[in-house]
Amino acid sequence: MRTLVLGLGNEYAGDDAVGVLAVRALRGELAGDAEVVESAASGLALLEVFAGHDGAVVVDSIRTGRSPAGTIVEAGLAELGPAIAPSLHQAGIPELAAVARRLGMGFPDRTRVLAVEVAGPLTFGAPLSEPVAAAIAPLGRRILDQVKRWASEDSRRGRPEDAGGGPEDTLPRGPGGTRCTTTTRSARS
Amino acid sequence: MSREILIDPVTRLEGHGRIHIFLDADGGVDRAYLQIPELRGFEKFVQGRRAEDMPQITSRICGVCPMAHHMAATKALDDLYQVDPPPAGRKIRELLYNAFMVEDHALHFFFLGGPDFIVGPDAPRHKRNILGVIDAVGLEVGKEVIGVRKQLRDLVAAVAGKAIHPVFGLPGGVSRSLSGELQQQAAAAAARAVEFSQFALGAFRKTVLGNPGYVELVTSEAYTHRTYYMGLVDEANKVTFYDGTLRVVGPDGKELLTFTGRDYLDHVAEHVEPWTYMKFCFLKDIGWHGFADGAASGVYSVAPLARLNVADGMATPRAQEVYEEFVTTLGPKPVHHTLANHWARIIELVYAAERMAGLAGDPQITDPQVRTLPTAVPREGVGVVEAPRGTLFHHYQTDERGLITAANLIVATQNNAARIALSVDKAARALIRNGQVDDGLLNQVEMSFRAYDPCFGCSTHSLPGQMALIVEVRDAGGALLQEIRRD
Repeated sequence: MRTLVLGLGNEYAGDDAVGVLAVRALRGELAGDAEVVESAASGLALLEVFAGHDGAVVVDSIRTGRSPAGTIVEAGLAELGPAIAPSLHQAGIPELAAVARRLGMGFPDRTRVLAVEVAGPLTFGAPLSEPVAAAIAPLGRRILDQVKRWASEDSRRGRPEDAGGGPEDTLPRGPGGTRCTTTTRSARS
Repeated sequence: MSREILIDPVTRLEGHGRIHIFLDADGGVDRAYLQIPELRGFEKFVQGRRAEDMPQITSRICGVCPMAHHMAATKALDDLYQVDPPPAGRKIRELLYNAFMVEDHALHFFFLGGPDFIVGPDAPRHKRNILGVIDAVGLEVGKEVIGVRKQLRDLVAAVAGKAIHPVFGLPGGVSRSLSGELQQQAAAAAARAVEFSQFALGAFRKTVLGNPGYVELVTSEAYTHRTYYMGLVDEANKVTFYDGTLRVVGPDGKELLTFTGRDYLDHVAEHVEPWTYMKFCFLKDIGWHGFADGAASGVYSVAPLARLNVADGMATPRAQEVYEEFVTTLGPKPVHHTLANHWARIIELVYAAERMAGLAGDPQITDPQVRTLPTAVPREGVGVVEAPRGTLFHHYQTDERGLITAANLIVATQNNAARIALSVDKAARALIRNGQVDDGLLNQVEMSFRAYDPCFGCSTHSLPGQMALIVEVRDAGGALLQEIRRD
């Protein structure tokens, strides 16, 4: 499966569950179109999850304090900026992408993050707060739209099996369709 | 107190590590500490749940070391149901646990600690990150770290079912036996891990020990605290991760006490300060006497350096050799230099790999008898393991049906909280004068706490957004006087 839909969060920890719950609700609809992965893992532990995909929708919670709870924030890799954390366990998606590409593991050129602004600190066993729960339906539609948009871009190009993205996508692929070619190019770019 | 400096990684959820530095009226440091996230509501959340579900539930509270929580919870269930796993069950658990330790230590050694001691503290800021480490050690080494990790994770997935959140620990044993085929897979993974550990050791010798400046830095007073140490040891007082007796040594290296997990509350207590929700663990036998080191202070430390300090050596031959080299260079024990944690970690990496190999080659490990069925009425259980970052306690009380009535977890970073506060405080005092913050402050603070490998991941996972280190200097009225941003 070329497209990854990755729901991040701890399903026991209140609003932090939103990413996991949102992608879980789409498993049926996305079957055949994307690989749906739920994970409570963090930072570099996610390194291997992205390999082998050329599109990824990362669904997560976020707390910027700049928007009301329930607001859906969308960003691409370039807009995320670097994460500089006291512990690199908390490496962000851009770091994962950089490391994966440098090591030739592959990272989807097309990566979109859809994150829901959450209300407050996480509390174990708490249900989703009302505004965050209300965001699940529109969040689901945006995930589906994104997956469909990529699929239709690819079919317009006449290469449904080759869902690679990015400006260098016209370069020839490696033998056997392996992703190493893509990542080698990414590492150079 | 007139001002507060807050070094705050702006994060997606409240509770990530934040450094608070409070200044006094004269612009000197009043106190400084690192705040780690609180497991809010956890105890209430687990009340009424089945104790058997705890290995699965607790493995989800940390995105970084789920296996450590899974294993501590499983061992707490053994104690709760008063049942010992048969030898094969115990060995399979320890095999996987050591596979996890190799994986975690390898990742930390190269990618997380690497910016400080492979790239080096004097390297330009933009080089002091994972990519800088890969540039320094070479692409092939970076790929080998990933390759070994993958092989170990595949092994854990094949044996335990699911790599990230293992589902195999049960009271009295494990859910499935190890087939001959899986044993071969384990032996192959262990052999590669042993080879990798030697290679990592070589990289450490070359980049670090070959650099006299580094040894000087490690042993410098800025990174030295003379505290107590705690860790698990086996019957011969050697380092062990999966099971053993807790041993505490003093700043003079003499044994203060040994105890089993069951008695942890007799020896470990938590100190509360009015200015933070954080609790600081200390030794009850000594008592809380403030944020201070020395024999009169109950402040103690866990993690790789502490484990080497409490032990009389390593249980495997190559690890013992490198342990002796460590003691010769930095000893006599105990070694009080926080940055020596990186060296201790590589010694433990060698041990974990050798231990894996020993267990994978043990004919008894394929015995189909992997579980003793529990029959006792449950009441209370304590499980202790050495997580990569130090001692981890799980403590459950249940009703007679095995439903949780109370739970207490002490994670490694909590054990270390007071000593980490000492490190942050020392850096702050050295580098803040008359309210002026030296540029080196962030580096020194980061280096000292990265050595502990403090984990803020106990309730969080990834982080998609912008995150920067911010130092805020505020006056007594809360007005912002100065902001230093690193992003």
